[in-house]
Amino acid sequence: MEHSCLHLRALKKEFNTKGDITRAVDGVDLEVRQGEIVALLGPNGAGKTTTIDMILGFTDPTSGTLSVFGESPRDAVRAGRVSAVLQTGGLLRDLKVGETLELVASTYQNPPPIEEVATRAGLDGLEKRKVQQCSGGEQQRLRFALALLANPDLLILDEPTSGMDVGGRQTFWESMRAEAARGRTVVFATHYLQEAEDYAERIVMMADGRIVADGSTDQIRNLATDRRVSARFSPAELEAAAAAARAMPGTNSVEVQDNRLIVATVDSDAVARNILGPWNGSDLEVSAASLEDAFVNLTQEIQS
Amino acid sequence: MNTTFYRLELRRLVRDYTNMFFTAGLPAFLYLIFGAGPEYGSDPIREGNVSMWIMIAMAAYGAVTATTGIGGSVAVERMQGWTRQLGLTPMSDRDYVTVKAAVAATIAAVPILLIYSLGYLTGAKAPLSVWLISGAIVLVGAVSFALYGLNFGLAFRSEAAVSAAGGSLVVLSFLGNIFIPLSGWQLAVAKFTPLYGYVSLARRALTGGGTLDVETGGLIDVPLWQPLTNAVVWTTVFAVAALFLVKRSRTRQ
Repeated sequence: MEHSCLHLRALKKEFNTKGDITRAVDGVDLEVRQGEIVALLGPNGAGKTTTIDMILGFTDPTSGTLSVFGESPRDAVRAGRVSAVLQTGGLLRDLKVGETLELVASTYQNPPPIEEVATRAGLDGLEKRKVQQCSGGEQQRLRFALALLANPDLLILDEPTSGMDVGGRQTFWESMRAEAARGRTVVFATHYLQEAEDYAERIVMMADGRIVADGSTDQIRNLATDRRVSARFSPAELEAAAAAARAMPGTNSVEVQDNRLIVATVDSDAVARNILGPWNGSDLEVSAASLEDAFVNLTQEIQS
Repeated sequence: MNTTFYRLELRRLVRDYTNMFFTAGLPAFLYLIFGAGPEYGSDPIREGNVSMWIMIAMAAYGAVTATTGIGGSVAVERMQGWTRQLGLTPMSDRDYVTVKAAVAATIAAVPILLIYSLGYLTGAKAPLSVWLISGAIVLVGAVSFALYGLNFGLAFRSEAAVSAAGGSLVVLSFLGNIFIPLSGWQLAVAKFTPLYGYVSLARRALTGGGTLDVETGGLIDVPLWQPLTNAVVWTTVFAVAALFLVKRSRTRQ
């Protein structure tokens, strides 16, 4: 039987800044089951971090209900059932990596062996180094190791790879996958579509404090797979090419800028094949629709 | 208490040589120059002497420097997000405060032990009870200055502010009758400054209630309620300010 580890119902959080009320989270319903890997995807300011803060008990919701493994957030944290890698979690710069691990381990009843956790987080050989001498990626791996010391059932990662280089990202996600394979539930916030696609089984998209889409990675990918195909045509052939592009199934919009035709479509291959050849297109560019475009589409769909 | 946390905090502080120099080295040096060296050091004060009077003052200066720094570091750790990181662990606020208080008392004991040892070796004289009572008051009273440092950190939200708090202790020490014995209108003003009550109470075992008058070499009588009121009022002010500032920083998050 699957158990619910996260239960959020009509969750709202308002901030009062100088008389203006900002709704950072505006009615979020979310259910996460044990063993899931969920990406919380959204642009900055979508309410991801505020939602995570409430799940961890750092801030109380203005209204709505919230439970973590059936307990209040603070109780779940104290019991070590949930832990997190925070975007804003600071480290003591003048403490060594090994000392930081030792300190945090000392707050738990039965922490896993420090050496083992260091290995799992990719910190081997760094124990004697001071935190201030560690790169951003190394510090992030240390935060990851600190989260593992809780031996948590639910691991929350808030923008875990921001500021990391490509290699660092890859190593980080490999470690995360290994932890998920141990049966941990993982919820991570990101604004990279690619990360959500690559590492999550389920994507929850947030915009303006609300969930605008929630589904398997495949379902979400289909919502956001508009691609932009753009190519140059001679003025004589431009109109005909545009008409042909408009007639194709899967085309969402066609634009003409100078001598360029810009087609937004779900099937970029077909557009490229069928339009470029007959009308002598050149200088082809194909790009994925930006995440922002996808959000705009999604929020418009929801509102209409 | 979490002894691992305590031990690691201490190790961190001891590794910071600059900080340890200002906490223990500088006041010890000041004692040697002004307390042990000059001839007036052996002038008697009741059953003790002037070296003893200066020794207690320098130990107090070192102790408040230590606790102010640690109080300030709590604010800095909050700003840097370390408190949030600890918020992910089962450690309660009370555990955290207990460890910090134990660390502050331990670090404050360093200048006291060092300067009292130097005093013992260089001619500070008083009955044993005076050594023990004054040392205990210096240690316990220094705790309220942890709040002083905390307030600076919370109010100005920078590491520089915490250093400034440490620096301000030099001024407060002059005003508080610590570095040089004040008399006349200067003493009247001193009675309202935060370090005065603390150091006067610490020296009371030696002086029996008076304060040193440089002009005559005798003691000016000061009733007990004056330093006592000073210490209680300032500790209350620091505590109320800290409560207010902690509350403010919570709502900002």
